[in-house]
Amino acid sequence: MTLLLRAIVAPDDAAAGDDLGLATVSAVAVAALASPWDKARIAGEPELLDHHRIIQSVFERVPCLPARFGSVFPDEDALHSRLAEREVDFASQLARLGHRCELAITCAWRDKGVNSPVSIVPASSGRAYLERGLQRTRSDREREVRAEAIVARLLSELATEPSFVRHRTCPRPAVAVSMSALVTRDEIGGISSRLERLGAQLPDVTIVVQGPWAPYTFAVSE
Amino acid sequence: MARIPLRRDAMTREGATLDVPLVELVDRLLNRGVVLTGELTISVAGVDLIYLGLSVVVSSVDTIRRAGAEV
Repeated sequence: MTLLLRAIVAPDDAAAGDDLGLATVSAVAVAALASPWDKARIAGEPELLDHHRIIQSVFERVPCLPARFGSVFPDEDALHSRLAEREVDFASQLARLGHRCELAITCAWRDKGVNSPVSIVPASSGRAYLERGLQRTRSDREREVRAEAIVARLLSELATEPSFVRHRTCPRPAVAVSMSALVTRDEIGGISSRLERLGAQLPDVTIVVQGPWAPYTFAVSE
Repeated sequence: MARIPLRRDAMTREGATLDVPLVELVDRLLNRGVVLTGELTISVAGVDLIYLGLSVVVSSVDTIRRAGAEV
């Protein structure tokens, strides 16, 4: 039976996926929760969101490490073999991350103009073309500087260990900052309130906070 | 290790309905979290189709934003 890996949990928590139709493959220190998967099935957005729904269901019950979408194994033996190779690392990560959640903090530019595509209208001259490119470069740099300033404000409001925060500035034209924060559940209310107040002070971005999610960004593989 | 084919057309079409917050989630589902191998699981001829699919989604979202949709 082909299996799609969903999450890694402690062996004692393996039953958390029973009513979700998940198969359990146990090693000594951790267990893998996986769904039967038709290897001919073609994945798209519904399958991605279903992956998230299943992980969240597990995460609401027990500490878990979310699996990146797409790890398919031909059978339980193949999954067990891979799991056994990595179980010490996964057990360590579970102990460190399992009780924490990920908040996704996104700062989207309010100004629609920052997303304007490079003009497809031919420049009237070579000089005009270069000047347009220079203007674009300056604009990008200004946005990058502004995004870094926003990051500083966010970090100040989060007031957490640097290792518990990851961020990217200007990852896409619409987004100034994409940040992930590793928090405890009892910190979420306070953080959300502080970020809401911060959002009211920032005229150029809209802050969107999502979560709590399983710690996708902080669960890593070597 | 098996591979999952990606429904790229569906991603493109449905991506047009996505907004920025959903792209943030999709980014985490596809690019973060633990993996049990060091290799990409969704690839053809060395090209990461999932990554390409996400790029399509992101592109669609930005197109929507340029058209004036709310973030």
